[in-house]
Amino acid sequence: MHSNALALLIVQLIVIIGLSRLIGRGARWLGQPLVIAEVVAGIVLGPSLLGWVSPDAMNWLFPTDSLPVLKMLSQVGLVLFMFLIGLELDPKLLKGRGHASVAISHSSIIVPFALGAGAAALWLYKDWSSPTVPFSSFLLFTGVAMSITAFPVLARILTERGLMQSKVGTIAIACAAVDDVTAWCLLAFVVSLVRASDLTHAALTTVFALLYIAFMLMLVRPFLARLGARVASREGLTQNIVAGTLLLLLGSAFVTELIGIHALFGAFLFGAVIPKEGGLAAALLEKLEDVAVVLLLPVFFAFSGLRTQVGLLDSTEAWVTCGAIIVLACLGKFGGSAVAARLTGLRWREAGAVGILMNTRGLMELIVLNLGLDLGVISPTLFTMMVLMALVTTFITTPLLRWMYSPEELARDRVSLAPPAATEAPGFTVLMCVSHEQVGAGMAALAKALASPQDGLYALHLLSPERPLRTRQEPAGDGALAPLLGRAQALGLSVRPLSFVSTEPAVDICRTAEAKHADLLLLGMHKPLFSQTVLGGTVHEVMQGATGTVAVLVDRGLSEVKRVLVPFAGGRHDKAALGLARRLMRHSGAEVTVLHVTSAEREGQARAVVEEFFPGDEGSRVRFKVVRHESPEDAALEEARTGYDLVVVGVGAEWGLQGRLFGLQRERIVRDAPGSLIMVREPEPVREVEPAASPVASTRTADIVSAGG
Amino acid sequence: MGKVPQGMHMGATLRLLRVDAGLSLRDLARRIGVSSAYLSRVENGLDAPPTQERLSAIARELDVPAALLMDVANKVSPYVTGYLEEVPAAGTLLLDIARRRLTAAQLARVRTFLDAEFPVREARGDEPVPALSSLLSPERVVLQLGCESWEDALDVVAGRLAAACPGVDSARLAAHLRQREEESASAVGNGVATPHGYSAGAAPAAVLVTLAQPLSRDTPDGQPLRLVVALLDGLHGRARLVRLAHVARLAGRGMADWLMDARQPAEVIERLAELEALR
Repeated sequence: MHSNALALLIVQLIVIIGLSRLIGRGARWLGQPLVIAEVVAGIVLGPSLLGWVSPDAMNWLFPTDSLPVLKMLSQVGLVLFMFLIGLELDPKLLKGRGHASVAISHSSIIVPFALGAGAAALWLYKDWSSPTVPFSSFLLFTGVAMSITAFPVLARILTERGLMQSKVGTIAIACAAVDDVTAWCLLAFVVSLVRASDLTHAALTTVFALLYIAFMLMLVRPFLARLGARVASREGLTQNIVAGTLLLLLGSAFVTELIGIHALFGAFLFGAVIPKEGGLAAALLEKLEDVAVVLLLPVFFAFSGLRTQVGLLDSTEAWVTCGAIIVLACLGKFGGSAVAARLTGLRWREAGAVGILMNTRGLMELIVLNLGLDLGVISPTLFTMMVLMALVTTFITTPLLRWMYSPEELARDRVSLAPPAATEAPGFTVLMCVSHEQVGAGMAALAKALASPQDGLYALHLLSPERPLRTRQEPAGDGALAPLLGRAQALGLSVRPLSFVSTEPAVDICRTAEAKHADLLLLGMHKPLFSQTVLGGTVHEVMQGATGTVAVLVDRGLSEVKRVLVPFAGGRHDKAALGLARRLMRHSGAEVTVLHVTSAEREGQARAVVEEFFPGDEGSRVRFKVVRHESPEDAALEEARTGYDLVVVGVGAEWGLQGRLFGLQRERIVRDAPGSLIMVREPEPVREVEPAASPVASTRTADIVSAGG
Repeated sequence: MGKVPQGMHMGATLRLLRVDAGLSLRDLARRIGVSSAYLSRVENGLDAPPTQERLSAIARELDVPAALLMDVANKVSPYVTGYLEEVPAAGTLLLDIARRRLTAAQLARVRTFLDAEFPVREARGDEPVPALSSLLSPERVVLQLGCESWEDALDVVAGRLAAACPGVDSARLAAHLRQREEESASAVGNGVATPHGYSAGAAPAAVLVTLAQPLSRDTPDGQPLRLVVALLDGLHGRARLVRLAHVARLAGRGMADWLMDARQPAEVIERLAELEALR
């Protein structure tokens, strides 16, 4: 009758694809995923319906001798499809998901696995399996078959219901990804166990499989990453690259088949190691998806349907068993994940929704079952029961979800947007503002004493708008910044230069310090020509405007910071000065002397503050000097003359550095101190805590990021 | 400049707008009925710029004026060439304009006349494209910025933008811009990059930065980065996309060269207004 096998195959394909699409329309109308339609189409064409109604028609359409061809075709389709599943699996989903998803996904595997294995041990093996099948294999396989979650179907349901971005959706998809990987590993193990004749062989297979996985991850993945970068940058996905990828895919499938786990795993693994960034994965997906999903996958479903014989369930007992399997499967998967979700802090309704989603088995279950039937682990009867179980669990997902998790609920549970993680400032950030060449070297020396290599050092130079434009070729750091950068390089510091034209230097300095989250704003002091005061002009404006600590360096040939003097009276600025001195001590082992000018009774108080700043052992390394003097300023000057590299002083009135009356009589300490000096100003503490609103956070991108990574 | 294919500039701009509109490559490709592989090639400048019909479809999907997108391709684009072949007399008119050396401001007047005399049937854009210069102010123009890394430039940008928008924290904004940058590069070619942030409720503001030394970044046309125009909006949608496309168009008109030697912020804004007189 069928003289031409090819003609038959083509007719079969037409019927299969046509019928799946036809039933697919109905499924869509019911709000069901297309998978359901394709499986049902297979069952309709098989002995369950067509073969029951009209055996002749079925024998004409699917004669027994045509089945091997169909099987091979469906296997090829499956290899391609598993590759696509691996492609869609984003490793970002697997990591960085917090312990909630890990707990849920683990319990959503362990509970149904245990239930399935338990049922298998207690009664399925005895009643529904042949004694030739090893007990352990049967046990493991039933467990795995129960604990499958269909990642692709789940993803499709979530997208269709607009749940991808919701809390429930993100948890479910992450769990499904973890489940997927775990289940395939388990299954690979079971297959190797079944195929191997004894335990040594099984162990050997496992070892080979692990070696192969390591090989793919360590050697093939970097290679693919490079290939992906090439595709992304210039060439696009040429046919050569597609051919190469397909060859690698087939090679990978072949190797896993050779090892003794199934070809499917090789395909999946290869898909999973292809880098998801840069468009290689997306382009491949686009090229292969239609052929695999529209043309070949229905063949697989039809083939599964042809092997499903509902007629085998011919007794009440069989139907009861089938029902029990369905109940057990739902109970294990739904219960396991819902309870775990509830325990991790979701509300019952959300936990229930996660449970329902995880209970979707879809076509993944069919793949597993066909594997089991091929290996002879399960009988055709049990196969039929489990196919029905897969159908039912997939079918009930959408209506249950709608009932449990109505659109109103959904609207309420939109993922609350996480603010973008505040970028951690790299240690201690210093912004050095340089206006003239002269201060650069001293600043570099001070920076060296203050900061360690991982701290952030920036050098800012503001250009006057009147200044002629620089030529383009001039490298950064030429001009005013050159001495600082040169010195910093000699000292092994990495300082990042920054410069621009500014009409309001003080405002721009403060803005830049804020943008850089600078812990310390270091200004260079140059001798003013006309102004009477040092702390006037721009420096004054910066001190008023800055939100952080400001220090002004008076450089008199500072090269090494060994001996540091801190005149201390106890004010806010003095404490900041002390803090800076402590940093100098800790970083470069400077010897710190605290000079306290006061009356005797207040000495203890100051010492307490100093001890607070230099706790424990450090306190003993600080020299503490107390003098009585009617003029603290003079006392400090006298002490400063005894040989210090650096005087660190707060801008307090005690030292003649504060108040409106800047003048020649004041600021003597600046003029007359022999060595270098820094004046420190601490802004008034902010009284009000700023509202924690995150105006920048609520973007759609933040949304996507929190969902995807 | 002439050697660089316009496709690069066009593609980078399309990608920028698409990502900001929240569409995936596949989404947009499906909606305009092309394969995502083709759209990807266009975005990467590996394929010729889309035809006028396709560009109109893209503009419709992104909800921006089609004329604006066509203008992004700038120069004597294929659309103009096609028209000149159809109606050779138009060439004579163009020659007339060229002989008079009309400035942008004068051309704007010519267009007002055209709009009044020959209204376009399908609305070119209901409302006129807002001027970039109106979003700038002297304190949001940074001239001759010298820095070694793009991150530093973004920090400066964020500092200025944050100052314009009460309640926006500059460090957070900088992190946000950096994150957007990772998702899709903001360089639109011709030496211009346009990082764009979003902060709910903020009034639209722009920051313009000219760079003292070009930053070598991965730009679509390989030209080093010389000008940064950063935008901050409080709303997603049409107005924002139009602003982005407008910046890309200005980049195509040689904005970087035009503004590079300005010395005062006010001068920059003046020159910009002149450049974009014809919108």
